[in-house]
Amino acid sequence: MNAFWIVLAAAAAISIPALATGWAQSRIGPAVAASLAEKPELSTTAILLVAIPETMAILGFVVAVLILYRGT
Amino acid sequence: MIIPMSRVRVLGPRGQLDPVLTALQDTGLVHLTEPRSVELLQPVTPSEAEARRARQLRALVREVDGLPFASKPDAARGSSALGDARSETREFARWARSAGRARRALARLDRSIHERELERAELARYEQFVAAFRGLLPNGGGRMQSYHLILRGDDAQAPARLRTALAGVLGEHFALETADLPSGERAALLLVPSTEAARIERLLAQSGVHELPLPAGVESGTLRTALPALAQRRDALDHELAGLAQQRHELLAAEEPELMRARAAAQDRLLELGAREQAGITPRSFVVEGWVPTAAKDRLTRALAKQFGAEIVAEEVSQEEWRGEEAPVVLTNPRLFRPFETLTRMLPLPRYGSIDPTPFMAVFFPMFFGLIMGDAGYGLALAVLAGVLHARSRSGSPVRAVAEILGPCAAFAIAFGIGFGELFGDLGRRWFGMRPLVLDREKALLPFLGLAVAIGFVHVVLGLVLGVINASRRHPRQAVGRGAALAMVLFVAVALLAGLQVLPRSFFTPAVIALLLAFPVMVIAEGIIAPIEFLSTLSNMLSYARIMALGTASVMMAVVANRLAGSFGGVVVGVLFGLLFHLVNFALGIFAPTIHGLRLHYVEFFGKFYSPGGQQYHPLGHWRPSQSEQSLSAKGTP
Repeated sequence: MNAFWIVLAAAAAISIPALATGWAQSRIGPAVAASLAEKPELSTTAILLVAIPETMAILGFVVAVLILYRGT
Repeated sequence: MIIPMSRVRVLGPRGQLDPVLTALQDTGLVHLTEPRSVELLQPVTPSEAEARRARQLRALVREVDGLPFASKPDAARGSSALGDARSETREFARWARSAGRARRALARLDRSIHERELERAELARYEQFVAAFRGLLPNGGGRMQSYHLILRGDDAQAPARLRTALAGVLGEHFALETADLPSGERAALLLVPSTEAARIERLLAQSGVHELPLPAGVESGTLRTALPALAQRRDALDHELAGLAQQRHELLAAEEPELMRARAAAQDRLLELGAREQAGITPRSFVVEGWVPTAAKDRLTRALAKQFGAEIVAEEVSQEEWRGEEAPVVLTNPRLFRPFETLTRMLPLPRYGSIDPTPFMAVFFPMFFGLIMGDAGYGLALAVLAGVLHARSRSGSPVRAVAEILGPCAAFAIAFGIGFGELFGDLGRRWFGMRPLVLDREKALLPFLGLAVAIGFVHVVLGLVLGVINASRRHPRQAVGRGAALAMVLFVAVALLAGLQVLPRSFFTPAVIALLLAFPVMVIAEGIIAPIEFLSTLSNMLSYARIMALGTASVMMAVVANRLAGSFGGVVVGVLFGLLFHLVNFALGIFAPTIHGLRLHYVEFFGKFYSPGGQQYHPLGHWRPSQSEQSLSAKGTP
């Protein structure tokens, strides 16, 4: 039972931030594409804007790993 | 680094303004700027003749650009060696006439080619038609009349409707055959008794079905009898098209060298006319100011003295009269670091007098890339890719820069791959007995996480140190605040390490006391926003955990690729599937470290010290390939 909750917590730690990242990128992506159509010189900013929400998923992954390591 | 610049002022009699500008253009050293406002100085307003001249030159440039020369406009460079003003005017007029003649001749040739290509395409439709109904076409002169029809391919019911309509008029006395053509249309051959021709033509007209008319010259016969004539005409058209293409090629080859020289000379003159607007004049004298690299200042003054003697004065403007932000920026770095200037230039240039981050980027970016990729096999593949790109690109091109950046990235990936004992995932261990020398990324996730955050700590602390140096040059108070923030980061690290017993526990209390002392200094020097920035600095270090996350994902993908390949029954299918998976992982392995490596630099590292806002150094010189029309207009060309 204990292992079940550990695995569930790890799964939640990665999946919820991943969903949040996907939602954020779905909002940022079209806006960035529209900006690039008008100002191609913003490409660096565009890359950064799209990459910034990925931090959530990456940190979620790190937390999931920590949960698994601490729990088992 | 950003090279030191000097501001120079050139003064002389007003009549010498144009020769001096020509001399400055020849040296190619001075980035012109408007002189400091002196009440007596007036801007140079272009006369009506000069404005007309500029319009004519731009028209010449447009005319030449409209011609489809094989080489790009950068084939020739500008030159001022066109003789005196009168002969120069004659020369430009002659070039403009040549360009106009070439354009008209080319338009005539293109029209002829277009007409023949249309005719040829029409002939191709007949060929398709004949191929579809070979054997059914009547010889002509009989009792049957043939109609060649083209029906729309997307209307599947059209043949059935036509057949019903014909049956209503002719009963069973007709034949209708259809066939799909490669063009997507549907060809139809209709045979009816000659006596019914008039009724059928009315019916076809009412139904909106169009007959395929026979080409000009063979309208009188049937399609079958016209076939030899059509083939003959097609051969003749091929011959004519080849001749016209040759004429076109010869025309362009003959005009290209001269007109490209004309374009370069016109661009050159436009630059010079634009430069006049940056000068200040009085009734008797002129003043021109600009920026030169300090190392080249003496070369400029010697060149002017040699050409004009004591008539022209070139002096350095003292540093008290200008602010560092005004000076243009030239980045100069060792050969090995230079490709990474491309990454620096993706952001606005650093301000003059601040720190050029290129050398740091040249060290850390490939390192982060290598840590994430961390596979000797992928590294070797990347090295091959970089070599191919390098061999196939021109020096100075963006592709060459990419190749030169990928090279060090591949070297780091190979080095870390050996350190992690990875060659296409775990293949190195299974086939060649490779062992992890540093850590096993598959299993040692927590040590890898610690390594990533430790690297983040070093990187961010380096950024803070550079921030202190940067601020100390212009804002000493800000430098104190940043120094206090830097000290606090170090104290936090010491306290944490002491708490975790990596350092002796006796370090803990002094570190906390020092932290509490540094805090008010930071707030007083940088304001109430400083604590928030301090917390964001700490979170920035955690952001480097992405190195571990992406690295682990990369190695897991490679291992999964190998396992999947082994799980298939057939060897060939397994190997192919494994290769495909590795290819996908390799593509991700290039993309993810690049994006996240850039992000770690631009957000986490640059945020600590980078001062954007520098303007690019654009010296007045002869027209060069990189100078686009945009840059010309930006310089205020009349």
